[in-house]
Amino acid sequence: MEVADVHHAYRRRVVLRGVDLRLRPGTLCGIVGENGAGKSTLLKVMSGELRPARGTVRHSGRFGYCSQRVVLNDSLTVRQHLMFFRTAYRLADVRYAEEIMEVLGFTGYADERAGALSGGTRQKLNVTLALMHDPQVLLLDEPYQGFDWDTYQRFWDLAGRLRDAGRSVLVVSHLAYDTERLDELWRLDGGLLRPDEAGAAA
Amino acid sequence: MRFHLSRFAVATRFTLVEHGRNRFAMVLVAVFVPVWTTLAYLAMPDTPARMRLRATGETLAPPGNELTEISGALNAVTLITGFMMFAATFSGSGFDRRLAMAGYPRAHLVLAKVTALALVSAAVAAYATAVTCLAWTPRRPLLLAAALFCAGLTYGALGVGFGSLLRREVEGMFAIVMTSIIDLALQNPISSSGADNPVMRHLPSYGAMQASTAAGFSSTPVPGHLAIQLGWFAAASLIALVGFRRSTRNSLPPPAARTPGPGRESGTSGLPAPRRAATPSPALSETEAH
Repeated sequence: MEVADVHHAYRRRVVLRGVDLRLRPGTLCGIVGENGAGKSTLLKVMSGELRPARGTVRHSGRFGYCSQRVVLNDSLTVRQHLMFFRTAYRLADVRYAEEIMEVLGFTGYADERAGALSGGTRQKLNVTLALMHDPQVLLLDEPYQGFDWDTYQRFWDLAGRLRDAGRSVLVVSHLAYDTERLDELWRLDGGLLRPDEAGAAA
Repeated sequence: MRFHLSRFAVATRFTLVEHGRNRFAMVLVAVFVPVWTTLAYLAMPDTPARMRLRATGETLAPPGNELTEISGALNAVTLITGFMMFAATFSGSGFDRRLAMAGYPRAHLVLAKVTALALVSAAVAAYATAVTCLAWTPRRPLLLAAALFCAGLTYGALGVGFGSLLRREVEGMFAIVMTSIIDLALQNPISSSGADNPVMRHLPSYGAMQASTAAGFSSTPVPGHLAIQLGWFAAASLIALVGFRRSTRNSLPPPAARTPGPGRESGTSGLPAPRRAATPSPALSETEAH
């Protein structure tokens, strides 16, 4: 995925002032920044949810996006969500999704309605729906909100496995925790993206 | 063909599940329809109300309570379908967008919503007609059901439009309730001295009101007025469609070539094993704005 010279503003408030970014296959990357720095705006632009005022976004292959806001249908069960998105992604089955559920530890909730789930379990389903078609590029906006410590660790383990399998994984967060797990870390500041010298293992 | 049918069937099934789990709407259907129509029938005097039915040109003198009961049935059906479709659209627009961006064809999602609306409208219209027939006997119950059905379709589509365009739940509920009240109160000859005014022809349920009144008290056919109501449904659907397109748009074009996901199509079914080489797709898509 390549992002070139992306600008965006909400009326007079300029949020992105020419962001360039390249996500290479097999990398686990992070973007950090303060509240309101434009991280979610950048991810919305990258996912196609928001059209940039200027600039280009290029992506290839399968693509997954998990927004900061949990987007589920409260009337449907977890299993019904999987069936709905299996059809959307044109998958033959949901075994891959079930494996993700196992890793995130919520297989026991398959027949529960999304509206009856706890915040953390809703977030697990939110992440699973973004991952279940094995995207080659994965964009995650604050993906571990509401996770308990164990699930948090397993989430990073899963992200590492996806990276090792050649997927591009981009995690956006307002806190620079666990930067040693990342191959690359950028900081969004003043509408521009700069390499974060303090973080990133590579 | 099978591809389209299966996507349409899945979307319709889950849309109906969602409506079925709207408990408040179910209670409204079960209680509000009989209470409102029965009260209108019992509380209003049965003295003849002279009126001119524009649809047939006849001058009629139906009992006032029966005329008000028809108005009440229309009010109940339009409020319920409008509310159900608004609630589903308002709470589900983000989910619809997510589905569309994941590759669900928007045409199938729209068709599923229209099918669900038609089924809901048909069920509520049939129920309201049955309740009406318990109190008195309209001359043509099937025409009454058809008129209620068309009015339900129209307000359901308006509910989708409000759900796509308005930002707060209370705004949508207010819009539906006020539209229905103004629409029906102005047309009721019992409560409005201006019910013969030409302006009434331009109200959203004019066709249904004329057809349902004819169903109650006349034997003259009124296909044109059902068609007027369906015209209103088409116009409301157009607004709803524009709102749906707007709320589910994707600024990234889909990749030129689709790569199969996990499962039988790709021959893989498990989570990727560590340290396996990637196979990037050559297909690139691009979005650009200047």
